[in-house]
Amino acid sequence: MKALYSWIASHLASPLPPAELAARLVAVGLNVELREPFGDDEVWEVDVTTNRPDCLSHRGLAREAAAAGGGELKPLAVAVREGTTPVGLLARVTVEDQEGCARYCARVIRGVQVRPSPAWLAQRLVACGIRPINNVVDATNYVLLDLGHPLHAFDLAKLAGGEVRVRRARPGERLVTLDGVERVLSGEDLVIADREKPVALAGIMGGANSEITQGTTDVLLESAWFDPVRVRRTRRRLGLDTEASRRFERGADRAMARLAVDAVAQLIQELAGGEVAVGVLDSAPELPAPKTVPLPLARLAAFAGCEIPEAFVRELLRRLEIPFSEGDGVLLCQVPSHRVDLELAEDLFEEVLRHWGYDRIPAVLPPTSGGPGERRGSFPVTDRARDVAQALGLAEVITYAFVPREVEEAFAGSPLVAKGEPVALENPLSARMAVMRRTLWSGFAEAAAANLRRGAERVQLFEVGRVFFAQGGRLWEEERLAAVLAGEVGPWDSRRRVDFFDLKGLAEALAEGLGLAELAWEPWEEPLAPGCGAVAKVGDAVVGVLGRLGNRCAALFDAPRPLWVLELLLEEGRSFPQPTFAELPRFPAVVADLTVRHPESLPYAALVAACRQFAPAILERVEPVVRYRGEKVGPGEVKTTLRLTYRHPERSLTQEEVNAAHFALMEKLASSLGVAFT
Amino acid sequence: MLAELAEVRKAFDQALAAAGQDPRKLEEVRVQFAGRRAGVLRKLEEKLAALPREEKPAFGKGLNELKRYIEEQLAKAASKAQALEAREEREDVTLPGRKPPLGALHPVTLVRRQIEEIFLRMGYSVADGPEIEDDWHNFEALNIPPDHPARDTQDTFYLPGGWLLRTHTSPVQIRTMERYKPPIRVIIPGRVYRRDSDLRHSPMFHQVEGLVVDEGISFAHLKATLEAFLHRLFDPSLKVRLRPSFFPFTEPSAEVDITCVMCRGGGCAVCSGSGWVEILGAGMVDPRVFRAVGIDPKRYTGFAFGLGLDRVAMLAYHIPDLRLLFSGDERLARQFPGGLAR
Repeated sequence: MKALYSWIASHLASPLPPAELAARLVAVGLNVELREPFGDDEVWEVDVTTNRPDCLSHRGLAREAAAAGGGELKPLAVAVREGTTPVGLLARVTVEDQEGCARYCARVIRGVQVRPSPAWLAQRLVACGIRPINNVVDATNYVLLDLGHPLHAFDLAKLAGGEVRVRRARPGERLVTLDGVERVLSGEDLVIADREKPVALAGIMGGANSEITQGTTDVLLESAWFDPVRVRRTRRRLGLDTEASRRFERGADRAMARLAVDAVAQLIQELAGGEVAVGVLDSAPELPAPKTVPLPLARLAAFAGCEIPEAFVRELLRRLEIPFSEGDGVLLCQVPSHRVDLELAEDLFEEVLRHWGYDRIPAVLPPTSGGPGERRGSFPVTDRARDVAQALGLAEVITYAFVPREVEEAFAGSPLVAKGEPVALENPLSARMAVMRRTLWSGFAEAAAANLRRGAERVQLFEVGRVFFAQGGRLWEEERLAAVLAGEVGPWDSRRRVDFFDLKGLAEALAEGLGLAELAWEPWEEPLAPGCGAVAKVGDAVVGVLGRLGNRCAALFDAPRPLWVLELLLEEGRSFPQPTFAELPRFPAVVADLTVRHPESLPYAALVAACRQFAPAILERVEPVVRYRGEKVGPGEVKTTLRLTYRHPERSLTQEEVNAAHFALMEKLASSLGVAFT
Repeated sequence: MLAELAEVRKAFDQALAAAGQDPRKLEEVRVQFAGRRAGVLRKLEEKLAALPREEKPAFGKGLNELKRYIEEQLAKAASKAQALEAREEREDVTLPGRKPPLGALHPVTLVRRQIEEIFLRMGYSVADGPEIEDDWHNFEALNIPPDHPARDTQDTFYLPGGWLLRTHTSPVQIRTMERYKPPIRVIIPGRVYRRDSDLRHSPMFHQVEGLVVDEGISFAHLKATLEAFLHRLFDPSLKVRLRPSFFPFTEPSAEVDITCVMCRGGGCAVCSGSGWVEILGAGMVDPRVFRAVGIDPKRYTGFAFGLGLDRVAMLAYHIPDLRLLFSGDERLARQFPGGLAR
């Protein structure tokens, strides 16, 4: 809130000068964020935390300043000069909704002269950010800023029957508030009404129909206590944040309601004349007994980690206006009605610690307990994924988890996306952030495309993050690893365009690093380019998808070059067993190459599987050496040269036995697959 | 006798010619003829020693000539071969090599790991939790009941069915306390979401929280832990300052400042001239939070703290704009291949 130094100081005997007083407030948690000169005075911007509505006033700040040694708080003196007419003859107050309004105090003042406020008052309001209106309204705002209690002034002549009823609004009831906006009310809203109609939104804003005007002579002054939750709900629903609502929401002071109505009546009489009627219409003059909260002194020391002298604690409580009585090692504190934040001993510990000074508490490391720490949850697998991707030369990026719906849906063909529906945000920031991603590609492809548009010649990125699904009312999230290659690969003297096998090799290395078992690869299209996409399976489960993004997706990202993308599942809880040493071979291997001519439709994997099936156990390894397409083979045919490595674990192989095995294998391949070797 | 020397010379000439300029073959020729132990010349020397005195001078002379000849020829061939090798492999060493790309981790990952290392060494575990949360874990159990004013400061993204995107990593504190008994020492890094986007706010960002629960945990313990952590993370010469503040889940609460890492306290744009930067929030765990998870607040006390990883990354790497971190710009991503020097 905005506060004037001189106004705070007016509540203090022997106040400290501005710089020192501000420093005292900062030290106890009331952060004076800004100090600006205002004539020979200063306007402060004080950051008051939501638990301290009592500090949303000059009196409240002065009380804290006094407790922090900034001066002595002066007693609050309010005297009203009353006339002769009893207030009961002039107005009537009925609280129908006791739950919404625990106290309603009203005074009546008759015969006022409405005119502009004197300069000293108007200036104080302006300094604190409130526009002066007229002496009656300004008086209510002045007392609000002074004592912290919201007040409202009605033109009594406009209240039908001179009546005030505090009740729930009728659903659909309308009220034009003082800002000129017509509000349609709900049955949850609390209103101030007269005999016929609502005249104010309780605790938020008055109605135009009962406004103080030039012609007003008789005024009804309201000083009430409204329920924080009810005020907050209506304020949020209507989006109407006011000085009053801010204080009621955080918790106003029930005792102050009476004092404030006296203070404002006195001030109006000084500014506008008139006669204050005798007495106050008070719906609940009896205050609830103050809560007693114990402050155990031994526990305080243990909690702080140091001794804090008892004398300091007692003096502090006195300065904070918290009465207490002595118990056995305990101070029994009676919480004053302005301190809504004090409920437990720890709340009182806070008072002591912040006023004692955090800087005066020693720093002592806690004793160790519980043994060594560990990484839990998905961190073991996600961090391993990051390490492997980094080792393979990729750079990590982080992109937003929310994406436009159409982008997200363009990826729906991926088997890793089709596991569930997208999770839509109920209150997205914009349509560009409407749904949660089901694949990392959705945010990531845009990042890759943007790099290309900036002129990057090679893009090699990865991301590790979560994707989100909904299905049948259930929501869940999964960890994923994605990578993208685009543009060129290879060193400066042999640059070439990225192709499928760069991507697949990367996927294989990532999978190996993640300890995934042998992967089976099958072609896959959507959302990938036909013939350039594949899924990786372990058993029947798809664990990865990769390929070149199809045109439909690529068009969404305006990528100047093809985007080669891959995505792998990262299962939480995957364990990485300690590898064990495997005996190194002691006998030499014999290597034999085999060129197979076969239809293109026969996949390499089938060829290898047949070799494994038909060759004797001495076949150690099969790898491709050359894949040939061209004039030397027929249409629809290819030649694949395989390198077969034979080895016996216990002796050297002879060329004769390798030849025999090799030729036997050729025959089996020819007869079972119909392949040729020329 | 002398004819034998002539034959050896002939054989040597042939062998040398056959070896060409192959250094390995030339070496073989050298060993064959001039080898110290079993070379042809050595054998001839032995023969010379065995000759009758009168035959020695003639044969000795011939042998010496042959020796000189062979040595000369071998030296000539060797220098020729060397000259040729030098000509063949003369590279422009200033051309770049075929450098494999060096991978790089995101600055947020780098600072997260650094913070994890510091706390793992102090006996903390690293915990994790869902990004899709329920109201209980994100708010209520943390002493933020419905209609609490503190909810205004954490603009929440809501999902269907009453779910939400966690607004802080604190719900994992609740999940940890629900699952593990004290003593608890844990830090919780993670991604969080708030409905807020401007120069200094991103709707998605990263936090790390710490939680310690045990018997006899005091404010002094909190203070020392934060000082040890911040000194290790940034610089032991930086000052650490705690200011009273308010969070619903800690009582009392503190905001923690360090000497500005840019200007070392002199005042600059990063610290708005104050010489201090706010780095984290902390406090003693509110007993209402303990009650919500069934931990006896009479027996146990604890402290908690939290900070923004993105902000630490920006301070540590001098990154001026939060949005750069989520831009996916590879030029940024590859600037920090090794992380911070320690």
